[in-house]
Amino acid sequence: MDFVQHILNGLLQGCILALIGLGFSLVWGILNIINLAHAAFIMLAAYVTYFLWSLAGIDPFISLPLTMAVLFGLGYILQRYVINLVMGATILTTFLLTFGFESLLVNLALRLFSADTRQTKPIYANASFSIGPLYVPYTQLGAVVVALLLTYLLYLFLDHTRTGSSIRAVGQDRVAARLMGIDIGRTYALTFGIGAALAAASGTLLSTTSGFAPNGFSAFNVLAFSVVVLGGLGSIPGALLGGLVFGLVYEFGGTYVLSQRDVVIFAILILVLVLRPTGLLGREGYR
Amino acid sequence: MRGMYYPGHGFRWLPSALAAVMLAACGAPASAPAPTAAPAATTAPAAAKPTTAPTAAGASSGTFDGTLLFGAPISLTGSTAKEGALTRDGYDLWRDTYNKAGGINVGGKHYKIETKYYDDASNAQQSATLADKLINEDKVNFLLGPYGTAPTLQVSTVAEKNKMPMIEGNGAAESIFSQGYKYTFGVLSPAQNYLRGVIDLVLTLDPKPASVAVLTADDPFSVEVADAAQKYAEQKGLQVVYSQKYPNASTDLRAPLTEAKGKNPDLLLNSGHLQESLAIVQQAKELGFSPKGFGFSVGPGTPDFQTTLQNDANYVLGGVQWTPALKYHGDDLFQTPEAYNTLYKQTFGYEPAYQSADATAVGVAFVKAIEAAGTTDQAKVRDAIAALNFMAFYGQIKFDERGINATKPMAVEQWQNGRRVTVWPTDVAEVKALWPMPAWSAR
Repeated sequence: MDFVQHILNGLLQGCILALIGLGFSLVWGILNIINLAHAAFIMLAAYVTYFLWSLAGIDPFISLPLTMAVLFGLGYILQRYVINLVMGATILTTFLLTFGFESLLVNLALRLFSADTRQTKPIYANASFSIGPLYVPYTQLGAVVVALLLTYLLYLFLDHTRTGSSIRAVGQDRVAARLMGIDIGRTYALTFGIGAALAAASGTLLSTTSGFAPNGFSAFNVLAFSVVVLGGLGSIPGALLGGLVFGLVYEFGGTYVLSQRDVVIFAILILVLVLRPTGLLGREGYR
Repeated sequence: MRGMYYPGHGFRWLPSALAAVMLAACGAPASAPAPTAAPAATTAPAAAKPTTAPTAAGASSGTFDGTLLFGAPISLTGSTAKEGALTRDGYDLWRDTYNKAGGINVGGKHYKIETKYYDDASNAQQSATLADKLINEDKVNFLLGPYGTAPTLQVSTVAEKNKMPMIEGNGAAESIFSQGYKYTFGVLSPAQNYLRGVIDLVLTLDPKPASVAVLTADDPFSVEVADAAQKYAEQKGLQVVYSQKYPNASTDLRAPLTEAKGKNPDLLLNSGHLQESLAIVQQAKELGFSPKGFGFSVGPGTPDFQTTLQNDANYVLGGVQWTPALKYHGDDLFQTPEAYNTLYKQTFGYEPAYQSADATAVGVAFVKAIEAAGTTDQAKVRDAIAALNFMAFYGQIKFDERGINATKPMAVEQWQNGRRVTVWPTDVAEVKALWPMPAWSAR
């Protein structure tokens, strides 16, 4: 029965990982930016959620759209007025720029919020219900619903709206897209904003499952990166699959080779890169 | 393919990007603050805290015959920023309290205590670099320890090389003291004592536990604590049914907890850090894992443990270096743990964690040694530190030949109804330990 619980743990955690990877994947795939400020966005969203809950008593699942909107705004402004200035440069430039944002945001948060551990703690936090011998935490289950819903909405948005099409067009060929009359700078900002909003959703969910402080988030950049590489860049189902596979590997790695868990994960990552460089569901770009 | 948005660019640069991300991730604490370390060089608390040198000196600045500069690299940012701040506050309280009372008396001359801190960003190498800077550029008279075993280990080498006496209060691994160094002293009880109190305590309780599971972070200090605890538990007749190491700073411990739950131990021991202790209690609850008790080496002693876990913190046991409930009567300005507690709360507005008391005890030991030596000469002060034997508000301070404060025992605290109370050793215990912990479903 432990085995089934392990699978459940892995899948529940995998959905959150998928959500963490989703925004990262979008920004990377369309803008060709490896956004190292992604984890800082998650952190800021956790604080927005925490303060809305502790000061105004707003339930995290209700404040979620608001938190996403706040981070969308921040992401939009950062891209529109800062990152857009260096979009013509090599990938290393944006890499360093977002790394700078990360440092800035984390240290600002340390200054403003201190290193005290916080947690958004509605009454159902860390509580669970059991189905026979299996335990399912409420917040993790809620997180799964949110993650799947947002994944589906992103898919609908990109595939079935005009704005979504223009985002995909810019990702495919920015010169042609511009010739078709698409405002590239605005589309970039929109995409980066959506990436930040998705990060925000995962930040809200994470703030309810465990205690957090500003400096505990940087590992999520590596997680997001791994999920995207595993699942395949440029694919929404890929991010979901990558997250789930990662969650399971993490759980079973933790069961059998706990102290070497990271070794197993990165060995699998390297193996995927060698055998299937585009990831599980990814596809080679046009070039 | 459905759901596809094509990447505009191939994967040719992917391997280098992967390497870069991993480097950035691993090196983040090291490289991120490096450029800022110098400007951020903190006597920063001066800006933030009311209890700084100027105010302290205000009363009696005319009466000092000189100053003694004490330097420390401390983790004010990074993974142990919280503990670093507690350490700094402990040093500050010592400085201000002694300065108000006339500073350090060296052969009739009164020296004012000054401190200089640099932020090591929780990075051990950085800590060593900054210690070197403190000694050779800032010309500190003495070195106070950083926060954490790894930084302390690194800094001890720098101190030894420069023949600079260092007393530290926040690195307890015996590996620090097994290098044959002569200039590093630690006021803490050694690692092997950390969970011993918890084991001794639970064996006196009814129903008597028969089995134990041990989870430990894989850093050298945590492993040392866990190994000693496991050996001690076996000696005392407890059966160790599950024992696992996890990568340092893991906060998803559902997998090992599910395994441990399957073994149904009476007691779960963890040797790790605050964030891990929080994760263990929360995830054990989520998984419906209810041993008769939880015992942690680190975590419950920090106020964050209760503010984060709230009612779930109840029943949890933790080994502590020091608690305000202990009945020591010290030969120093703070005198008793209770008086220290009161003064600390007045000054900073929150209750001291043991990390703060550790730091303050470091300062007290320095004052005792310098006054005994009657000189500020570093070699002579070093000898005076080695010869110290006195009772502080913190407990007995007497270093063995390695520099460890080996005679000081550890206490055990338990969270009961949102209060942290001392439950072991019995002669100073405030109340009886609550045992066994009811199942999560019954709480």
